[in-house]
Amino acid sequence: MPTLTIDNQQLTAPEGQNLLAAARGLGIDIPTLCWREGLEHVTSCMLCVVEDCRTGILHPACSTPVAAGMQIATASATVIEARRMALELLLGDHLGDCEGPCRRACAAGMDIPLMLRQIAAGDWRAAVRVVKRHIALPATLGRICPAPCEKICRRGAHDAPVGICLLKRYVADADLASADPYLPEMAAPSGYRVAVVGAGPAGLAAAYALMRAGHACTVFEKEALPGGGLRSPELYDRLPPDVLAAEIMQIRRLGLRLETGVTLGADRSIEELKQQFDAVILAWGEVSPDLAGRLGLECGPHGLAVDRHTHRTADPVVFACGNAVSPGRLTVRVVGQGRATALAVDQMLRGAAPSDPRREYDHRLTGALDPAEIAVLLADASPGPRVVPADAAAGYTAAEARAEAARCLHCDCRKATDCRLRQYATAYRVNPYGWKPTARRGLAIVRQGHITYEPGKCIACGICIRITTAAREPLGLTFIGRGFDVRVGVPFNQSLAAGLGRVAAACVAACPTGALSGAPAEQRRPARGGVKKRPVS
Amino acid sequence: MLNPAQIPADPAVLDRILDEKGRHSGAVIAVLQGVQAHYNYLPEPALRYIVEHSEITAAALVGVATFYAQFRHQPAGRHMVSVCVGTACHVKGAPRILDALRRHLKLAEGTDTDHENRFTLRAVNCLGCCTLAPVVQVDDVIYGYATTDNVGGILEDFLRREGDGGRGAWAEQMPPGRVAGDIRVGMGSCCVASGAATIEAALHQRVAAMRAPVRIQRVSCLGLSYEEPLIEVALPDQPPTLYTKVRVEDIPTILHTHFPAPRRRDRLRQAVGRGLEKLYTDAAWTGPRRFAANTRDPGIASYLDPQVHIATASCGQCNPVDLAAYVSAQGFEGLRRVLQALRPEDVLDQIDASGLRGRGGGGYPTGRKWRAGAGAGAGVKYVVCNGDEGDPGAFMDRMLLESYPYRIIEGMLIAGYAVGASQGVLYIRAEYPLAIQRVSAALAACRAAGWLGPDILGRGFAFDLTVMEGAGAFVCGEESALIASIEGRRGMPRMRPPWPAERGLYNRPTLVNNTETFALVPWILRQGPEAFAAIGTARSKGTKVFALAGKVRRGGMIEVPMGMTIRQLIDDIGGGIAGGRALKAVQIGGPSGGCIPARLADTPIDYEALVDVGAMMGSGGLVALDDTDCMVEIARYFLAFTQHESCGKCTFCRIGTKRMLELLERLCHGQGKAADLDELEHLAAMVKRGSLCGLGKTAPNPALTTLHYFRAEYEAHIAGICPAGQCKALIAYEVTADCIGCTRCAQHCPADAIPSTPYEQHVINADQCIRCDACRRVCPSGAIVITSCGRWGTGIAANGPRIRPPARNVPHADLDD
Repeated sequence: MPTLTIDNQQLTAPEGQNLLAAARGLGIDIPTLCWREGLEHVTSCMLCVVEDCRTGILHPACSTPVAAGMQIATASATVIEARRMALELLLGDHLGDCEGPCRRACAAGMDIPLMLRQIAAGDWRAAVRVVKRHIALPATLGRICPAPCEKICRRGAHDAPVGICLLKRYVADADLASADPYLPEMAAPSGYRVAVVGAGPAGLAAAYALMRAGHACTVFEKEALPGGGLRSPELYDRLPPDVLAAEIMQIRRLGLRLETGVTLGADRSIEELKQQFDAVILAWGEVSPDLAGRLGLECGPHGLAVDRHTHRTADPVVFACGNAVSPGRLTVRVVGQGRATALAVDQMLRGAAPSDPRREYDHRLTGALDPAEIAVLLADASPGPRVVPADAAAGYTAAEARAEAARCLHCDCRKATDCRLRQYATAYRVNPYGWKPTARRGLAIVRQGHITYEPGKCIACGICIRITTAAREPLGLTFIGRGFDVRVGVPFNQSLAAGLGRVAAACVAACPTGALSGAPAEQRRPARGGVKKRPVS
Repeated sequence: MLNPAQIPADPAVLDRILDEKGRHSGAVIAVLQGVQAHYNYLPEPALRYIVEHSEITAAALVGVATFYAQFRHQPAGRHMVSVCVGTACHVKGAPRILDALRRHLKLAEGTDTDHENRFTLRAVNCLGCCTLAPVVQVDDVIYGYATTDNVGGILEDFLRREGDGGRGAWAEQMPPGRVAGDIRVGMGSCCVASGAATIEAALHQRVAAMRAPVRIQRVSCLGLSYEEPLIEVALPDQPPTLYTKVRVEDIPTILHTHFPAPRRRDRLRQAVGRGLEKLYTDAAWTGPRRFAANTRDPGIASYLDPQVHIATASCGQCNPVDLAAYVSAQGFEGLRRVLQALRPEDVLDQIDASGLRGRGGGGYPTGRKWRAGAGAGAGVKYVVCNGDEGDPGAFMDRMLLESYPYRIIEGMLIAGYAVGASQGVLYIRAEYPLAIQRVSAALAACRAAGWLGPDILGRGFAFDLTVMEGAGAFVCGEESALIASIEGRRGMPRMRPPWPAERGLYNRPTLVNNTETFALVPWILRQGPEAFAAIGTARSKGTKVFALAGKVRRGGMIEVPMGMTIRQLIDDIGGGIAGGRALKAVQIGGPSGGCIPARLADTPIDYEALVDVGAMMGSGGLVALDDTDCMVEIARYFLAFTQHESCGKCTFCRIGTKRMLELLERLCHGQGKAADLDELEHLAAMVKRGSLCGLGKTAPNPALTTLHYFRAEYEAHIAGICPAGQCKALIAYEVTADCIGCTRCAQHCPADAIPSTPYEQHVINADQCIRCDACRRVCPSGAIVITSCGRWGTGIAANGPRIRPPARNVPHADLDD
């Protein structure tokens, strides 16, 4: 049995064992995309390269047997560089977005495409859960948000963007009007107490998120009624006070303590709050340097000085967000910030490290799509024009909402949360613009039943081919062509379903990217008219 | 055009193919070749029929059918026009020939077959006729020295020959009883391409008419490709006389010189005939195309004298498929010695002692490889000859297989004995039909004579060989891909270890060696390892066969001792650079090798020395480049080749080479940025380190060496200047005041970019000009020049490079040769 070292740890490994298994035996993780337990390995993705320090040679760990005297480094600078470049090459002409452009534009980070699929399926109750994961006051925002998401909606390049904002309002209104409006699941009480100063959109968003995380929360508001800037008279005709009140009531039903008519500095001092609570979030409107000085906080050019990622002020238990930090923000941005601040406070209270300020890797189709590409995306969308509610004041009816939501092109990736390519791209800080092709390859999406195949996201690892071959599928899958143009296909242009056969679900689950995706029940859209196939000409 | 789906499967034909080639999964490539031979493409109904009636799965069949370049999925025209885009042809203008043919056949974008369905046009990697570059092959007729304005003539000539009903007999003819002498006709593919078949037919005709007791022999290639067609007249007890660049009309004179007619009446007729011929043929017989030379000709002497023939021993003397001739020239002597006197370990010792290293490129010690095979336990083992020579610009394997099939067979037999194998495969690329034909004939002759079979030489050694025809994939030159291909799979390399010596063909220990390596083995065993080791350098022993091509005056296949310098190769053997131009670089090792600048021409031919300068031995392509060759374009050319030939398995090669190619294309199109060079270097370095197999690991070499040695030329491209005047997007054609107003340029311009203005200086309309070079080639006064002025326009123009043509236009051989 050969003796070798991996990351300076000496080990004796059984003859014939590969470096990947040997390293994993030591608890050292090596990234892989094309390797899969139980399948013959093919050495395709090259993500698992490790360096032999004696020779400087890069070995693919998944298929290199251990040898006596090897001195393997699994994370040397060269290895990291090689893996990053492999990922950049794989992603260089990856055809698709991780997140839909709408979600990317939404400052609150709401999963818009998922909401739209649920509305289109007639399931507004599921939709409201998705909406309220990020937004505490959707009926309110649904009336006043300037909807940056719609400005960027790809459907707009074809006819008109999807009416996302109105659809969100529809979901929220339907929920409020129901007998049992949705109350989110709450984490077990943490025993921590957090004070939020200001009951405007930022404060309410922060309080909502904190309570969902299990923390007891008290909001102090200097006015008699909560709502802050949302109660501004200019908004009355768009945002009736009863809608706002109803939504705030929903938050209060989670156990929120609201103390109105309390002014910080006059009625309560910040020292007092710090004594009574484990953390304080300052979420009021604009702050003058003067006021900041009186509170003993530093002031930046626009407002209170906070850490960009943690929203923490110089005082470790005092956080700030909203207009207090930077005035004049869009409500939706303020809402997003309130939530982010709450998450930072939650992390601090639980003693967790602040989450990585790096954003998750988010691949995007850059530039305008050409008509052929739009046509591919349109294949699975309702062709009709934008639906205008018959009664503008009342918003969409259920039928109108379904029709409008069905116009969504589903630009987002159905594997956004479990794509290994994306996870590694985040981990290795991949530059999405690293190795862009001179010209984009044609976009193609094959949808059959619940399974979607996007050749432009395939990394030619062949896992699906190996699964169908191992299962002795009569038709199966195969590589078609060779070299750069190689693609996975079904022999004789048969249907995807015929090729995948009985192992379709296994293939979808094993596909390390979004190339093969099968919508889980939660995300399932109503099947539309059987088999569709629109390769770009 | 036929709709492919409408062609029904023909069960009788398909069953015959399946019965012949086999119904097991390993037979898939042979079966597909059979189907394509019948239909001229692969109709889907036929493929479905095969899946239903064999063990071949649909996935395997489609995977293989779409992997190999040989297989067509659309019907082809009646004739296949193949333009060789190998290195030698490329540097002599193959892309322009391809363009000209596209224009001539009026092929729309994305199509390859003309409207009348007569011709299908395709580019092929290398036809192995580098010395006739640029080469066009129509079906099985090869046309050399193609030019942009004679492509129409080539097709017409082909159709005319076809109308004449064939192009001469191909059967190998054996001599009549008593002979007065031999006439040897070199019949390698190059020779055939340069008209040897016509010469041979004319010889037969004349000899029959003269009733002369002359034996006409087809012999192995002499390697003097630049002098072809060649015939050699050998009379008993006289030194042979060699005639070069022979024309049909020269034949009577040659014959009459050596073989006086036996009867008085015939002699008289001979004399009268000669007189008449003189009367009716061109009086200017003393032109360059017709001269008789014997081997004392200084050019030929300097071409042949520095060579050492081991793999190519007895070149030009034997009929390649004549087993008796091979045996009488010490053939199978090495094998006889081995079987009669040596144990397998002794053979291994001798190979070790000879210092022989693999001639496929890597230079792995052959003895060590054989030892690994021998040490891999008992049971079934295989010996595989790698004849999948895919390098554009290399034709050593073709020549060796065509000319010395028995020597290679002997080498494989010795290897089989040494490692304990009893079966072997010769994997030969499909583009070499003559090699396949001759090797198959040689195998049959060996079986009949007992050189292959269950008990060779009565020593209890059993060995047999089969031929496997490749299907068009350069990557199959990599041994693990080669094995996959023999097994009937997509030719994708796999990670080694396990090495083929442990687990190779059908998971059995397998020895894979290059054709040339096997061809050297018999000599070593016959003459002794010391004799072999005495030739060459400290680390590289023996000889190396090179395909010398490009801009040298004398090109061909040569075998030289290791240690000879590149300069000796180019100047002494190749006669220097043609056209009075200067050597700029030598591309050695093909797409895996590199470009060595002229200033390093004293680098010796030695595995390590070549690697030290960034190139590699490769399989032996050696292309000389002159100052009209653009190094960025050369790098782009090789990257385009390797990128196209990548199997697509690993990330770095599949995508990395594509991105490298795109960078180089942008540079050639004048769209490069200053940062591109560093990016290219960075990416190239990573592709080299991170790729799975040799193809990817060496693919960056052409780019890296040109970047290293010719960086200024890259920088010029970023400024929009192509100093060599090659990159179409960066050059313009201009007519200088030397124009005599003859209108030839206007007549030859395929794009109507030159208005015809007799007796006045012509002007080229730059917008219409397609930079096909036709005008410059036909201009009698050298008045058309290429300019490259850079992207900052006229301000730089005055100082910009002006590439002038040679003082006099180089005449081009006509097709009628």
